Amino acid sequence: MNHRFRVPARVLATLTLIVVLVSIPVAGQAPSTASRTNGTAAKPYTPSRTPDGQPDLQGFWTNSTYTPLERPKDVTKEYYTPEEAAAAIKLVAERENEQTEPGTTADVHYDFSQFGLDRSQSTFTQSLRTSLIVDPPEGRIPSMTAEGEKRVADRAAARKALGGQYDSVQNMPIGSRCIVMAGAGPPMMNAGYNANYQIVQAAGYVMILTEMIHDVRIIPLDGRPQPPPGVRQWTGVSRGRWEGQTLVVETTNFNGKNPFRGASENMRVTERFTRTAEDTILYKFTIDDPSTWAKPWSAEMPMARTQGPIFEFACHETNYGIANILAGARADEKRAAEAAAKTGSK
Amino acid sequence: MRTKLALVVAGIGVLLASAPVWAHHAFAAEFDVNKPLKLRGTLLKWEMVNPHSWFHLDVKDQDGKVVTWLIEGGSPNQLIRMGVTKNTVPIGTELVIEGYHAKDGTNKAVGRNFVLADGKRLFLGGSAPGGGGDKK
Repeated sequence: MNHRFRVPARVLATLTLIVVLVSIPVAGQAPSTASRTNGTAAKPYTPSRTPDGQPDLQGFWTNSTYTPLERPKDVTKEYYTPEEAAAAIKLVAERENEQTEPGTTADVHYDFSQFGLDRSQSTFTQSLRTSLIVDPPEGRIPSMTAEGEKRVADRAAARKALGGQYDSVQNMPIGSRCIVMAGAGPPMMNAGYNANYQIVQAAGYVMILTEMIHDVRIIPLDGRPQPPPGVRQWTGVSRGRWEGQTLVVETTNFNGKNPFRGASENMRVTERFTRTAEDTILYKFTIDDPSTWAKPWSAEMPMARTQGPIFEFACHETNYGIANILAGARADEKRAAEAAAKTGSK
Repeated sequence: MRTKLALVVAGIGVLLASAPVWAHHAFAAEFDVNKPLKLRGTLLKWEMVNPHSWFHLDVKDQDGKVVTWLIEGGSPNQLIRMGVTKNTVPIGTELVIEGYHAKDGTNKAVGRNFVLADGKRLFLGGSAPGGGGDKK
């Protein structure tokens, strides 16, 4: 195969354009300057109101980003300069489009760019921040408590006791099984591709539709209490309220089967959605789980307006990969057994 | 400036080393890295659905017998946003697939590269040569 580290000229041209676009808003493709947060006070923006008087967050949004959750270890500052941020995006985008070395496991995949799934081919948000995490100021997830580390080890041991990852469907990753992915959260993390959301507001409710993988959060705003501790869900149970222009959503009652960064099922996520511009929502979240981290930690990112509609992501429909992986594991085992028998008979 | 950019580059190096792979599942567990293949055939059907689309390809074997292969590709949602439809790649289109064979030995493969008969890489995203671009 003749595709060794080839970066098509058109890709490079596109990337060069992206860097230019960092400072030139273009409708529909590049996020506007308002999508970037740089720590300075933004111009006051007053969103329009929904018929029942809520600040209007409705529409189609994306949280696709090149900014990592945690600050790279050799970066020591909170913000890049615009030039540095552009260089960082360019570098990662190039790597994302770069063809992999044939014969390596990384090459055993389809090419994201052929399907328009690399981030540079759709709207993505931009920020001068070097990490999404803003607290602690080091931009990294704090050290775990001893209890948290023990829980992570216990979970790993429990998984091991069930057998290998490809011994049964139940042992395979939650996302591969099409149960839930990172985009739904909460906290709502960049899903990698199709990182799109639709927000709809009705009297007393906010609904968030997540494209990956068609999850819906219906958030009541009427001050009702959380359900009893026995009620537990993959994406927890959310309750919302307005604090001025900001929608505050508190989520608890997670089922603990898809722990966010090793958290316990008692994690509390507080999200804050503020419309800071016509085309931007500032999304902040705080993770509070004292049995895992001694102090809460927080992150923030812009969500950029994007074009709808949200397309269905019926994740089970052609998830032939599950059966193929299990069949592949059985074939590997058979080959290994035959090789062992051959060696033993010599 | 040069120092600053060097710092960025160094930081990105770490970022890439720890960056999550966006794969929905472990493709290297499904397909055999030691069995690269190249198939030439005609498109019989495109399952343009999620989590990954599958291209059904009629391939003539060495004896001239037609065998149908299933080729795994990417999620179609972004393509739909870009204006790509099932009709963008008509049934009967000749395709060359460079990829890797399924571990279980059945007629399935991952399409590392989809190439048209004239040697151009198939669309689909805007950054691929011959691609239609983001039509938004």
